[in-house]
Formats: sequence, C-alpha cells, structure tokens
Amino acid sequence: MKYSFVLISLLVTSFVYASEDQYQFATAEQKNIFAELTHELRCPKCQNQNIADSDAIVAKDLRDKVLTLVEEGKGKDEIIEFMIDRYGYFVHYKPPVTASTLVLWVLPVLFVLFGFGAVIARQKKASQAQQWSEQDESTLNELINKYQRKGEQS
Amino acid sequence: MNRKLLFLTPLAIFLLLSIFLFKGLFSDPRVLQSGRIGQTMPEFALPDLMQPDKQWRNTDLLGDVYLLNVWGTWCPTCVAELGYLTELRKQGIKIVGLYFEQGYDADFGDQFSLPDLQIEVSEMLARAGNPYAFNMLDLNRTVLLDLGVSGAPETFLVDSKGTILLHHTGDINSRVWRAKFAPVIAELSP
Repeated sequence: MKYSFVLISLLVTSFVYASEDQYQFATAEQKNIFAELTHELRCPKCQNQNIADSDAIVAKDLRDKVLTLVEEGKGKDEIIEFMIDRYGYFVHYKPPVTASTLVLWVLPVLFVLFGFGAVIARQKKASQAQQWSEQDESTLNELINKYQRKGEQS
Repeated sequence: MNRKLLFLTPLAIFLLLSIFLFKGLFSDPRVLQSGRIGQTMPEFALPDLMQPDKQWRNTDLLGDVYLLNVWGTWCPTCVAELGYLTELRKQGIKIVGLYFEQGYDADFGDQFSLPDLQIEVSEMLARAGNPYAFNMLDLNRTVLLDLGVSGAPETFLVDSKGTILLHHTGDINSRVWRAKFAPVIAELSP
C-alpha cells in the first residue's frame, strides 16, 4: 500500500514534467531542428549558456523566434544565418573560419602533422642504423666459430 | 638544415599560441560583435510611448544623424546614463528612445498597464533628465530582436541615410563617448 503511493506520486511527477514541454510541432523533424538549434545557439546576454538553458529575457525571445522560423519551414542553416545577421558570430557555438579564429582551426592540424612527421623521421633513422654489411656478416661468423670451438673444448 | 627545421617548428607553434593566448588575456568577453553594423535600420512601425496613436516608422527617422537608445525604467544602468545623455542632447545630439518593456511578457511579469508605465516614465525622466526627442514602445520586442539587442542599455549610432554605424552595449559615459562615438560623429560632419 505504502509503495503504491510512492509509485503513483512518481508517475504523477513525471507526467507534470512532460506537460512542461510546452512546444508543439507538426513534424518530428521540426521538433529535432528546434531542439538542436536551441542547444547550438548561444545566449547573447548570459555568456556560456545556450538559449535552451538560459532564463534571460533575450534567450526566451530567441527561443520564440526559432520556434516561429521552424514552424515557417525554415531550414537549420537559414535560421543560424538569421541569428548571425542580428547577433554576430557570437550567437553560434561553432566559430567560423576567419582571420582571428584561423589559429584555432590550424593549430590542431599542425600538431598532428608535426607529431606524425617526427614519428616517421625517427623510424627512418632507426631503420638506417640496422643496415647489415658483408663485413658485419663475416665478423659474426668469426665470433660464432670462436665460441663454438670453445664449447667443444670444455 | 632538417634538424634546424625540426627544432624551430615547435618553437614557432609555441610562440604563435603564446601570442594568441596572451591577447586573450586582455580581451573583454562582454564586447560582442554586432551583426547589424554597416546595415540599414530594419523596417519597423512602432507606437509612440506617450501617444500610442502616433506611429513611428523607420522612414520617419531618415535625414538625421541620431542615437537610438534602448532603455527601460526597470534597468538601473539605463537610469544612471540618463544624466550624461541629457548633456549630449544639450550639445545638439538627437537621441531617440526605444523602450524595452519586459512586464508585458507573461513569463516575466503580467501586470502591464500602459498608463502606469507612462506615469513611471515621465516621473523618471523628470527626475533623472530627459534626453529623448521621443520614445518608441516595442511591446513584443520584435524590433529589438531585429536589431540584435540582448538587453538594456544598448545604443546605436545611425546616420542620415539610416545606416547603423555603431552598436554599443552598456551605458554611455564621457569615456565611452570620447573613445567610441565622438570620432565617428566627427567624421560624419563636414
């Protein structure tokens, strides 16, 4: 009896949470676009929060605008373009390639290339050192003969 | 030669990174890049805050260089800058107010009444100074969104053809005016 009460209250709370999902969409695709965009767009007022998380008034306005644009059938890129037009590149979490952000895009590639180059260079060096000449071969044979005879004597 | 290159490349990368990060130390994250600079004022039709029968259109503002000041009585920094803006008005700068209303939104306050707001605004302007030629009321904040406004106060400098030259986030004081606005205005007047 006690447990059924707990169970029912749990069910009820989950139902309440579900009803907080206030936005209705015509298609599942629109719902996805809206969810993606509200997580990718950055709140211009409260930095480092996306507009889905933020309680700022501008975040709410942006959410509403994204909703309207999604319902109008606008694509994801179009909506991002619309926001950048008004709020600048800051509003999107993915930085575009510009002169000032070039270093962010190029550095990781440089690091990988450099590391890879260093590994290859080392390997080349190591393989060069392992070259086996005829003289090495004869020295080895001499040594083998010498120690074999030693073994026979003892 | 090859060895030298091997030694210098990481050094170069390190120096590049250092310069980049060092610059980052002194950048102000609150200074946002605005998307609207260089573009024309978006089209709008907004009622006058004091006489709602009167509509202001973006075309009504053509022909003058003016400041468009986004403000609200609920915003302490806006009230603080009213004094300096009034000084600017006395110097002959045209300032148009764009009233940022948040009480109209059910999520932020549901007790909106235009007559109350009008009284509140006139009282505040009488007390702190009135820099405005007139005020426009953007109840739904649609024009604010079109301008890329994220809060209040924010100020735009618009030229006589309706092109947005500057977008300043935060209050205007003598330091900001001298550093940011005055040079641009000086360039405009022959």
